[in-house]
Amino acid sequence: MTAAAAPATASLLEVSDLRVQFRSRRRTVHAVNGVSFAIGEGETVGLVGETGCGKSATVRAIIGLLKSPGRVTAGAVRLEGTDLVGLQPRQLRQIRGARIGFVPQNPFGALNPVLRIERQFRNVIRAHGRGRRGEIRSTALDMLDAVGIADPERVLRGYAHELSGGMAQRVVIALAMILNPRLVVADEPTTGLDLTIQRQILDLIRDLAETEGRSMLLVTHDVGVVAQYCSRVLVMYAGQVVEAGPVRRVLTDPAHPYTEALLAAVPRRGERLVGAQGTVPTLLELPPGCFYYDRCQYRSDPRCATEAPSLREVGPEHWAAVHYDKGAGIRLPAASASAAPSDADSAPGDM
Amino acid sequence: MRYRTGAIAKRLLFIPVAVFIVITLAFGLVNLTPGDPALVIAGDLAADEQVAEIRAELGTDKPVPQRYAAYVRELFTERSLGTSFFTKRPIWDEITQRFPDTLELVVLGLLGAVLYGSLLGTLSSYFRRRWPDTLSRTSVTITQSIPDFFMGLLLIYVIFYIIGWAPAPVGRIGLLDRPPDRVTGAVILDTLIARDWGLLKTAFHHAMLPVVTLALFYSSHFAKTTRAVLSRALNSDQVEFARACGLSELRVVGYAFREARTPVVTYIGILFAALFGGAAIVETVFAWGGLGQWAIDAMLKLDVPAIQGFILVVGLLTLLVYLLLDLIVVALDPRVSYE
Amino acid sequence: MSKARLALAKALPKRAEMPAEGGRAGRALRALARGALAHKGLTIGFVVILLILLAGFFAPLPHDPIQPNPESTLQSPDGEFWFGTDRFGFDVFSRVFASARLDLPIALAGTLLSIAVGIPLGLAASNKSRWSERIMRGLDMFQSFPLLVLAFAIVALTGNTLRNIIFAIALVNVPRFIRLVRSEALVLRESRFIEAATAIGASRTRVMLRHVMPNTMGIVLAQASLAAAHAIIVIAGLSFLGIGITPPDASWGVMIRVGSQNIATGQWWVSFFPGAMVFVTIVAFNMVADGVTRVIGRAED
Ligand SMILES: Nc1ncnc2c1ncn2[C@@H]1O[C@H](COP(=O)(O)OP(=O)(O)OP(=O)(O)O)[C@@H](O)[C@H]1O
Ligand SMILES: [Mg+2]
Repeated sequence: MTAAAAPATASLLEVSDLRVQFRSRRRTVHAVNGVSFAIGEGETVGLVGETGCGKSATVRAIIGLLKSPGRVTAGAVRLEGTDLVGLQPRQLRQIRGARIGFVPQNPFGALNPVLRIERQFRNVIRAHGRGRRGEIRSTALDMLDAVGIADPERVLRGYAHELSGGMAQRVVIALAMILNPRLVVADEPTTGLDLTIQRQILDLIRDLAETEGRSMLLVTHDVGVVAQYCSRVLVMYAGQVVEAGPVRRVLTDPAHPYTEALLAAVPRRGERLVGAQGTVPTLLELPPGCFYYDRCQYRSDPRCATEAPSLREVGPEHWAAVHYDKGAGIRLPAASASAAPSDADSAPGDM
Repeated sequence: MRYRTGAIAKRLLFIPVAVFIVITLAFGLVNLTPGDPALVIAGDLAADEQVAEIRAELGTDKPVPQRYAAYVRELFTERSLGTSFFTKRPIWDEITQRFPDTLELVVLGLLGAVLYGSLLGTLSSYFRRRWPDTLSRTSVTITQSIPDFFMGLLLIYVIFYIIGWAPAPVGRIGLLDRPPDRVTGAVILDTLIARDWGLLKTAFHHAMLPVVTLALFYSSHFAKTTRAVLSRALNSDQVEFARACGLSELRVVGYAFREARTPVVTYIGILFAALFGGAAIVETVFAWGGLGQWAIDAMLKLDVPAIQGFILVVGLLTLLVYLLLDLIVVALDPRVSYE
Repeated sequence: MSKARLALAKALPKRAEMPAEGGRAGRALRALARGALAHKGLTIGFVVILLILLAGFFAPLPHDPIQPNPESTLQSPDGEFWFGTDRFGFDVFSRVFASARLDLPIALAGTLLSIAVGIPLGLAASNKSRWSERIMRGLDMFQSFPLLVLAFAIVALTGNTLRNIIFAIALVNVPRFIRLVRSEALVLRESRFIEAATAIGASRTRVMLRHVMPNTMGIVLAQASLAAAHAIIVIAGLSFLGIGITPPDASWGVMIRVGSQNIATGQWWVSFFPGAMVFVTIVAFNMVADGVTRVIGRAED
């Protein structure tokens, strides 16, 4: 399992069998159900899936910031070998910001509204005991310059509300990367921004990652973004990774029916992603078999209803959680044998 | 920056109107309410001439518009609030003499309320739905349901009578103590100025119970506000991002506090204004001898000019506090200019 | 007309999501009552208030509450005087319960009056006009006043009749109802079913009375319970200061006042029991308010 979805290079981050639950007195939401993947040095990995499938929960679990009542119930998150799950809060704090940078969704919300930007930089740098008095300011100025802020001096002196959306996200990115973390986790970093600015921000994040050889986990709804900015992709469904592999291979030859549906339904940018028809498991009670069973048009294998498929290699570095094997031609569409393959073939072209 | 000065200017322009409203209210309260104070002051056995005399002295024998004009004229030309019906002293002197005592009580009580209340509110919101939250909310439920004067009596019984930690509720200092030379009029400040450390200790000792009473009663309001605002702030994206940047929990709570401070400061201001009158009943319980106790006495004796003067002064004080509050909020929150 | 009705049928939300409609305020209240039964705190609070009220009027009291026993003054609680006696020889137990006859009805009457005045004013102020803005500004000013002291002054000046005390309580509580009803009405007006009613040509007053008002009932009820709790404090404060109800009439505030002169010498029972009763009553009203807020789904948590 752990080997599943492994990167080509030595891995920086290794998530294995991660499980997250939101447990309240009345109900338990199984948000993440055994997610395993790894991210190698200098690699950019995309994480896609429809809304509510547990992307944010996975990301928050990695940085140890699940909102109450969320809890990691099982699994490990290894950063360069150290397991972050169950680490003392103090040790986790030293890792956050310094070794894992986090770029959140809403840049305005992310900045403190009543503190000058300079103070916010200072606090982050100080929290990790870096930088001497004189240096902090110049470090911040350099970083703002690097994220393409035209007048860094002025921005440092000002407040968050004086910035435009794009500028605010640049500042947030600068804050997230000021301590040069090896891994950057971005949770839908461009939702809410103008289309042209979305592009710019994504370009910026990629450039920053590439020049420093950083690794990156990019959460998005947008398959187009994955295609353009990521080297590998993880497809999530109902709290599980159902398919993983090099972007080109997954998008052109998806092995999991959910990925197929996702590609067929590529939304216009900015729209929320809605996958196939049928109902998603409520995540309150997990079905015994494949989570995608209800929506699947290929559920032929008798195991589909009773046994959850685990990720297995369906092609070179290409993994999928399916019982049947597409390449071997065992696939027997349940409903219409003829319609399905053409669906699958045409899907990538829609991009 | 220009927006801000604009907003402030607007407030300042509103001041004369508001002052006028307060004056009218103070006047109307006494003169437009049904009932004849003269009858009550004179008592049941008084002869008609006596009642007429009292009416003349109070000025209630003239028609209302004429009285109003006279009242406003006296206010602005002679800067006088009139004289007390019973002591015959100028109301203004009566008020300024007692104001420092009330100010001291209000400031100390509010300080206690803010400290205790924000502690409760912070614990509540930080440990939401865990035992510190339950504990703090229980405390709030209890203290907000005990009228302040009854709380004062309970404290007197427990802390003075049973335990003996507090002195008898006889005022600012002991009955046999010589008061400090009057400089500011505030006993604690004056003992400080006189460097009379023994008396200072006595003064603090006497201030303990009334201050604790006010602090407990008003802490509940404050705790609720803090809890609501801080809970929202602690769940905000900026706090999550601060955590994601590896800031210490203390800093993170500080970030939340900064976001929450505007409503909290506003609430401090509102309570401050409310307490000038609101402390009256506690002053009475502890024989504090401040503005509030004097006003209650005036009400019991139906000293009409005094009641009128008290309402006016408290109203104007409230206005002043609210104005200062606006200025402080503008200074605290860089965003206000854009609203 | 029939066309409009058709359009209305489409515009109207499904039955299940439709708020209480005019003339059916009764149904809304009944639904509330059903929810109330399911809510423990609300039931307890309500029953406690009811019990205190009923006990005040109907319970057989061991002694005459307004007839002192001069030969037994300041006695500590014992088998004869369960809560002791005060310095005039009044039986504290009997008086604590008899006080409910005055204090609770006054509090409720004052609250009802403030609702009766507050709802129309609030609805009127929900019209978006220059005047309503000004009224609200004036209300702000009024509310920033120390209202408790204002109430004291009013009762002192007009005389401590029941009517005047009720007026003073109503005056102190009216602003909160105006504010509440106004903000509720502003929100409700934007909602679909009000738009629909307006679309079929219902008059403005009719929309207000039959559609907007019934839907503010729940939240008004919650606020009324808080107002009643506040009224209890105001009455007790008035009587405690000697401005409100006066002896020998039984009132919690009067009793606390009488006892306050003995508490520093250790006779705690004279003040304690009426004070405890005030506490219980206020907690009960707060529980009702809290419960109603939860039942109508307006609780913050
Ligand atoms: N505080 C919470 N309490 C209960 N359930 C929660 C909570 N937060 C999230 N969940 C549940 O956990 C599941 C995963 O949520 P998550 O936020 O990770 O989805 P997501 O993939 O990030 O969706 P989106 O694309 O909308 O951001 C969802 O079903 C959601 O309902
Ligand atoms: Mg998300």
